[in-house]
Amino acid sequence: MAGLLGNPYRPANLGWPPRVNNLESICIQPLPHQNPQEPCFVLTVPVGYSVRMSDGLPAGRCHLAKGVSHRSHLQQLNLSDEVDTVTMSGNPIDHLNRVTRALACVLLCSVSGRAAVAQIDFARQIKPILVAHCVKCHGPKKHEAGLRLDTATTLLDGGERGPSVVRGKADASLLIKAISGTDVAVSKMPPEGRGLNSKQLALLKAWINQGAKPPADEVVEKNDIDHWSFRKPERPDLPQLNGKHIVHQAIDLFILDKLAEKKLTASPVAQRTTLIRRLRLDLLGMPPTYRQVLNFVEDKRPDAYDRLVDRFLASPRYGERWGRHWLDNARYADSNGFTRDFSREMYRYREWVLDAYNRDLPFDQFIIEQIAGDLLQNPTANQLIATGFHRNTLINEEGGTDDEQFRVDAVADRVATTGSVFLGLTMGCARCHDHKFDPLSQREYYEFFAFLNNCNEPTIEVPYDWQIKSGWLTNRERIRQRITKLEQQLEQQAGAFATAQQTWEQALPPEERSKLPGPTQEALLTELSKRTDDQKQLVVDVFKKSKEARDAFPEVDQINQLRRSEPVIPTTMVLQERDKARQAYIHRRGNFLDRGRNVRAGVPAALHPLQSTSDTPNRLDLAHWLASPDNPLTPRVVMNRFWQRYFGRGIVETENDFGVQGSPPTHEKLLDWLATEWIQRRWSMKQMHRLIVTSATYRQSSKVRGDLAAVDTNNKFLARQARVRIEAEIVRDNALAVAGLLSGVIGGPSVYPPQPEGVFEFTQDPKPWNTETGEDRFRRGMYTFFWRSSPYPSLMVFDFPNSNVTCTRRVRSNTPLQSLTLANDIQFVECARSLARRVQQESSPDFTAKADFLFLATLARRPSTAERDALSRLFQQQQSAFSADPIARQQILGITEDSTDSHADNQNDLATWTAVARVILNLDEFITRE
Amino acid sequence: MDPIIRDPLDQTRRHFFQDCRVGLGAMALGSILNADRDVSAAATTTQHPLSPRPAHFRPQVKNVIFLFMAGGPSQLELFDHKPKLQSMEGQVIPESYVENKRFAFLKKDAKLLGTRRKFQQHGAAGAEISECLPHLASVSDELAVIRSMSTDVFNHGPAKFFMNTGYNRFGRPSMGAWVTYGIGSESRDLPGFVVLQSGPRGPRGGSPNWGSGFLPTTFQGVPFRNQGQPILNLANPQGINRDRQQQFIEAVNDFNRIRLEEIGDPEIATRIASYEMAFRMQTSAPELMSISQETPETLALYGAEPGAPSFANNCLLARRLVQRGVRFVQLYHTDWDHHGNKGTELGESLDKVTREIDRPAAALIKDLKRLGMLDETLVIWGGEFGRTPQGEPRQYLGRDHHIEAFTMWLAGGGIQRGVTIGKTDDLGYYPVEDRVHVHDLHATVLHLLGLDHLKLTFRFQGRDFRLTDVAGKVIPKLLA
Repeated sequence: MAGLLGNPYRPANLGWPPRVNNLESICIQPLPHQNPQEPCFVLTVPVGYSVRMSDGLPAGRCHLAKGVSHRSHLQQLNLSDEVDTVTMSGNPIDHLNRVTRALACVLLCSVSGRAAVAQIDFARQIKPILVAHCVKCHGPKKHEAGLRLDTATTLLDGGERGPSVVRGKADASLLIKAISGTDVAVSKMPPEGRGLNSKQLALLKAWINQGAKPPADEVVEKNDIDHWSFRKPERPDLPQLNGKHIVHQAIDLFILDKLAEKKLTASPVAQRTTLIRRLRLDLLGMPPTYRQVLNFVEDKRPDAYDRLVDRFLASPRYGERWGRHWLDNARYADSNGFTRDFSREMYRYREWVLDAYNRDLPFDQFIIEQIAGDLLQNPTANQLIATGFHRNTLINEEGGTDDEQFRVDAVADRVATTGSVFLGLTMGCARCHDHKFDPLSQREYYEFFAFLNNCNEPTIEVPYDWQIKSGWLTNRERIRQRITKLEQQLEQQAGAFATAQQTWEQALPPEERSKLPGPTQEALLTELSKRTDDQKQLVVDVFKKSKEARDAFPEVDQINQLRRSEPVIPTTMVLQERDKARQAYIHRRGNFLDRGRNVRAGVPAALHPLQSTSDTPNRLDLAHWLASPDNPLTPRVVMNRFWQRYFGRGIVETENDFGVQGSPPTHEKLLDWLATEWIQRRWSMKQMHRLIVTSATYRQSSKVRGDLAAVDTNNKFLARQARVRIEAEIVRDNALAVAGLLSGVIGGPSVYPPQPEGVFEFTQDPKPWNTETGEDRFRRGMYTFFWRSSPYPSLMVFDFPNSNVTCTRRVRSNTPLQSLTLANDIQFVECARSLARRVQQESSPDFTAKADFLFLATLARRPSTAERDALSRLFQQQQSAFSADPIARQQILGITEDSTDSHADNQNDLATWTAVARVILNLDEFITRE
Repeated sequence: MDPIIRDPLDQTRRHFFQDCRVGLGAMALGSILNADRDVSAAATTTQHPLSPRPAHFRPQVKNVIFLFMAGGPSQLELFDHKPKLQSMEGQVIPESYVENKRFAFLKKDAKLLGTRRKFQQHGAAGAEISECLPHLASVSDELAVIRSMSTDVFNHGPAKFFMNTGYNRFGRPSMGAWVTYGIGSESRDLPGFVVLQSGPRGPRGGSPNWGSGFLPTTFQGVPFRNQGQPILNLANPQGINRDRQQQFIEAVNDFNRIRLEEIGDPEIATRIASYEMAFRMQTSAPELMSISQETPETLALYGAEPGAPSFANNCLLARRLVQRGVRFVQLYHTDWDHHGNKGTELGESLDKVTREIDRPAAALIKDLKRLGMLDETLVIWGGEFGRTPQGEPRQYLGRDHHIEAFTMWLAGGGIQRGVTIGKTDDLGYYPVEDRVHVHDLHATVLHLLGLDHLKLTFRFQGRDFRLTDVAGKVIPKLLA
């Protein structure tokens, strides 16, 4: 009660103390009133405080400000929700006998005018104090400890240490404790300079005790950070160049302009052999064939290159290649993650992505369907599948977890992913506190969170059209009806079944029992009457497998047989908006249990405004906001990622941080040009790809130039093309393709290509991995089943994303483990064998032709003289080695049975070429896009 | 920014040998093992990402061996002796302890459970260790036992990530990755961060526990399997013997060298070096794994048996790894998750797992000491959390996951020997003295390696990230 003496309301001579504990919080304010019908004063009482009336107030004359229903006769009024205001009309003195002694004291004291103060005005009286003493560190520019004190709204939001005030309880408020220096965890504030004087402190306390009401018209100004990426891109003028240059696209003008500024010159156009390989790897993720290379080299038409681009962009492989880039962003995987990491079915979403790219779905629509396809009018099955984008989050199936915790985590991941992928912002940073650098408060984070917080997360059946047309669904319904009927038949024999089960249980030999799974054994050991429902079911399930059950009840087998014959319809995980929105809160310090103030869905104030006709904007509004042409970030961010794929680094190098801390663009105008051009072209992705890959900048040679080493080490200004190692899945696709093994099947469930033994030793549960034997052994790497806790090793060794969180840029490492994979992995040996066979069969017999074929098929060029010589030496060395070692020869060819001598020469030749092909498949150039 | 921070995009452009045309005969391959040549040749350019780098200040230890007891060992059965808990067995835990607390399985009214294990003081320092760990008790004067560890999360997966990466969700680099990122590794033919596994199943959560997060992949832990090939794809394909593999590597590098001359991209030089190291690894990794080279006495000390994978074998391998300069070795051993079902109780099941780890862990310390390596190695023992003073209402004796207080121990260079740090309350529920949070442990481990946890940062998404997130302080009481 330290503050008691200072309490201006303390009615010292009126039989104090009453039965009220927190005197500080009671406040009363007379209102100017002329006639007795108007409210004459406001009484504010603290949380949990009960106002006891000795008799009832006349109906209509007691107004309860909020939360409590209006009743005419109140014996007891529990104001449980924060501090509330009770307004009574009439002459206060008249009511004296109607309230408790305690309140009477207050009332008397108040109306007698001795301590009455008017309602304190935050803007006029409080804000100046805070501006003078606090706002330098806790203001719009800098929010130390996540606290911003320049507005009442942000003051009430509090900071990292929680709310700064407890309404109505000044002495319990952190703000007051900090200023008074009485908080154990916070040092006295302000840390430097003269602090608040006692009058200022008293005013602050009084404002809090009055309920800390923010001004009704208060506007929280957005942080006045003028950052290039938050401004809507303007169409820049095209640079004027002096002198002669090769210019194919406007892009080139911007690049050349900057090069001229840096006194650099562009590199010459790359050789055609390089160009076709570069283009095909970039657009399709596959190498050109031998034939394609020769045709292109000989194509003398002036538009030969453009034709190539058009042809490649029309290939369905384009959807696979660029769709896979998108799946990185979407953190796509085939399992749930965390410790148990069970499998999930999401491949229909993968198919949707590939298809969207192939039909060139405009990017704004691409966003809308993925963020809120379910909220479109009469959504198609495909639009529902698209919402799988945000279902790729992890699911923790470990025992003893709190579902709400992991649900909130998943929503937080959706916020972070949306921020990174579409906005290039590190929104996740504002989960626990205001963003340290960008104009994004914790409140705004949770306002954004609120959009994504209202989903149910169902799994739905998504049959293919052909399945529907061929009657799969009706067929399944028919089978299910038959099963129901059989189950009813079984049900009718329940008594006999139970008896049979008991007999079987008693006769079950212990060694049989010990072979059963642990929980089933436990269930069997439990007395029948004590078994839980789950345990009963476990025993019934085992019994049904027994000979006894199957003999006595033929329905058991019939049901099983029917179940097996049910057509399997693919399923997928989708978002579905709840009928009633969840209340969203600020989670203090990001802790889902620690709920702060309520928030409503909204977008960060620093960005373009949300267009919504509804009071309660939803996910669809968010989707439209993201896809809006007013969005300053998305077109820049996505174009920058396109650029990054083609040139090794983005125009903004920190492609996932366009915020204040991100690196500035090397070519700001070019990025703005690309962004505006894209919107003008109605968000067509294919058109932008065409623009970029037909530019002279893209077509330059990637040869490293000595003159650039000192001035532009990292090739930021693109005086040459970049030389980049190809991505993980493409490394293998590339080898399969040149070996002639690559399967052309598009879409469908994930597959299980061969992998080394022992992969699952380091996971909690070994994962099923039924290695493919047919064509699926050679599917593109993007279809390889992805277990999050134990991913396919040859993908990971080449920096495939872990798919737990969004990946917007792949790392490109260069390690010995990569060498071991390429050199020794059985898949790559198979490729070498198969490639050797192609050399034998598809080229003319002389060595030079074969060497040319091998190089053209793998590297899209003919060998140089030095290389041909090296090939020749290698060939001879290996030939003599293998002719002396028939066992090794058979082993490298994977031949197990004794082969006849008549094939020895051929075998030797094949083994030799296999060894040579293996070398080529290991070359740096083979796994590099030059 | 800190001097050891490098441009992440440049991380692959290492290993640029000036003289890239050195012939790669058997002699040249042999000579790569000669460190001198490498240093001079690499002078003109940046280093290999794993080559050793100076720390922030003088390190106390060179290498770390982290014995990760996966599942959460019960400190109350092993290190934290609580007679009061014993006497209160069967009573409902006072509400003040569990107000606002959440558990994986327990209800608020769970009853206290005393231990069935006997405790005794050991060594000159009188460390209290239970009968479950007689061998460790015999080296107790080497240990710094921390009875006041605490962590933030109580589910296995998230808690493992927290202990390994300082963060309870995915995406952050593990401690081993931070360390190799910071100071590289002394080993020239083995990875800098190696992970071993024993016990009935792999650790929950799998690869993110030793992942490199946003750090370059070069720094991620490499799992060594204890049967078959230790590293995936280590063995030559069928039909390729060592000679032919060497011819193969030479040929690959010959062609790469021709291309390097033509194109001039230092990345090709790195690729050449990667193939050389891969080839060395093909010899060094199997050599490392063949513990039969050890004397019978050494094998007996650990209880190791060549060809029969076990925690004992892994402890011996850990010693062999650090002997070869590998910076960070992590051994996972399952399973300590003693909830009280059949096979997961604090009776025989606990006996089994303590028997599995007791002798080998003690042997590791004795062996390192005997070889004079204990002073330059840090050994860490512990799991992702501990177990509750309350018993679980299951078929047998068991406890739930406990995050407020649990026990870990450290031993080796720079560490106080024969001390017990921290104290818990009478029930063993909360620390009452010297609480050591996971972030503090991380800060201390980095400190011993000569790294300032505040300075070991990596810029990602516009922010400098640390292993210790925004917390962590070095624990002076642990330091010698």
